[in-house]
Amino acid sequence: MSDASTTDIPPELVQVAEENGIPLDLMRRALALGFPPDAIRQQMSMPGVTAEAAEQFISEQEKIRSGGEITIPDDVLALSREKDWPEELLKRALTLGAPPAMLIQQMNAGITADQAASFIAQQERMRSGDGDAPKLDLSWMNVPTEWGVRVSPGKKGLTTGMLNVGTYADIPDFWPYHTEMPRGAHPIPGLPAMGYSIYEKAELWSENAADLYEEAIQRRWRPSTDVPWDSMEDLPDAVEKAVCQLCTHISERALVAGDIVGGWLPEMSYGYHEVKLYLSVAEFDVARWFEVFRKRALSNGGGLGIQAPGFFHRTLIDARAWTEASVALHILAASQLLMLFQIGYYTAHNEAERTIFSYCIQDVARQRGYGSQHLKFFLTKHSDRRQEISHVINKYEVMMEYEWNADTPLREALMILLGGGASPEQMADGAIKLEYFRKRWANDYVDQLAAAGLRERREKVHHSIKQYLSEPEEAAAAAA
Amino acid sequence: MTQEVKTKATFPSVEWFDALKEIINGDEAYKRHGTCDASVGIKVPEAGKYFVITFEAFEVEDVKETDEAAAENTDFWIEQSYDKWQEMIKNIADNGQADLHHTLNTLDVEDPAGLARSNDGYRRDLFYRFNQSFQHFFDATAQIDTKFA
Repeated sequence: MSDASTTDIPPELVQVAEENGIPLDLMRRALALGFPPDAIRQQMSMPGVTAEAAEQFISEQEKIRSGGEITIPDDVLALSREKDWPEELLKRALTLGAPPAMLIQQMNAGITADQAASFIAQQERMRSGDGDAPKLDLSWMNVPTEWGVRVSPGKKGLTTGMLNVGTYADIPDFWPYHTEMPRGAHPIPGLPAMGYSIYEKAELWSENAADLYEEAIQRRWRPSTDVPWDSMEDLPDAVEKAVCQLCTHISERALVAGDIVGGWLPEMSYGYHEVKLYLSVAEFDVARWFEVFRKRALSNGGGLGIQAPGFFHRTLIDARAWTEASVALHILAASQLLMLFQIGYYTAHNEAERTIFSYCIQDVARQRGYGSQHLKFFLTKHSDRRQEISHVINKYEVMMEYEWNADTPLREALMILLGGGASPEQMADGAIKLEYFRKRWANDYVDQLAAAGLRERREKVHHSIKQYLSEPEEAAAAAA
Repeated sequence: MTQEVKTKATFPSVEWFDALKEIINGDEAYKRHGTCDASVGIKVPEAGKYFVITFEAFEVEDVKETDEAAAENTDFWIEQSYDKWQEMIKNIADNGQADLHHTLNTLDVEDPAGLARSNDGYRRDLFYRFNQSFQHFFDATAQIDTKFA
């Protein structure tokens, strides 16, 4: 044991002592007993700790260390009998410096004597190990990965994309490892495979994935508190029913989108973590859509509506390749969803609805961003598979249009929202406006495909979508 | 909603957009939307005025007056008639922020050609992805005592 009078007191302990009115001599005595400075600081900073209590505790510890009898406080002893903690165990804990109040807290928390004995034994081993350090291997410190990397934050902080420097920026076209090893780490030979099936960069990569991940994290929102729910007022019955039908529809789509992305994530190897990161937060986005539209449906006197036919969903969930699923989900379905969000925003009846749809528009645009740039990357690497992709899109366009025609509740709900009610005049007005939105959607959708590299799709798109397309000259004139 | 009017400027002019840039770059609430990276063209064809605004990270990096081609050589450009620009800015001044009929999203869906236009569908989507930042940007015009040219 050190001599308390010669023990130096670290500045942080001096500060704690001054703040809590603890004499410095008590700090010296605690250090001399061998208590780590952090532990002393923590104990002395606890609410209710007084100089008198500290003096009593340290005196008891000094008595124990000098071979004196260990005194178990009466209240600790009484509780230990009730909780079946042996007296010997309490003495060992007190010898280690456990405050009586902590022992009472642990016993009341349901910690069993066996659990406590295991922990106390571990602490005793650590204490007796002073000067007898175990033999260390440390060969792992010579791992042949790139070392000395010092990425500095930029204007946007320290982003995921910025970490791609030196060898850590090597993102191979084929990922050779079948385990969960992060890209840039050193592999251990012989570990069992994790069962991924996507090892080729072209099958999932999107150049914007790291940025989308950061963007999604930054633009996250909380339906519970970010939506001004108290702005809602009673709506005419037909309008409330229409809003709730739209909410039901979007909730259902959000669930399916979650299932699809969630099903594909375990197929993707870890060579391309940027994509896995983004898709993980995209999963969160769709969960939030489900949450917020359920909340809207159940918070203004309405309820849930009728289920969608689901033909499109069933086709989508059967996709046999991620690129196929992504094109259908993130370009085709997301574009139509953007239209629904825009209608919801345009017809918002209160600040709550306006806020909800405004956030959702941002969310779904990120998903289109991934879908479009992934398809672009895929086509760049596999130009021979353009026709295959075109056939895939044919299938999904057919199913989406079939679904649209079969989903009378959704179409009628949208007409009511756009027309402002369910009277024949309002429905007629709503039908015209819905056609207007369909035209916007169709043109926007083929623009997305063109941006992804499928400019020719404008000519091949399903006839029920093609009827809405502006002629190229017309589109140019409108944009001019 | 009443907002403090900090400066006087004439729309459309580079001074007006510079004043807006100053307001936004000192606005902590704008930063809370998250980073926004986009080059945005502004077109006021009847006035023959074109601008490019560069949004980068948590601030407006640059504002400059350009020609029409440069305004279109951006991620997307915002275009509406002079009357519509005036109506939008007055509405924001009157309400402290755009009412539902004058937000960027509403103006976009009401215009058959779109308020936000681009030669590239992916780049145009930045209008949607960062929409709340752009709306915040234009809502801040309530803090400018705007004169119209």
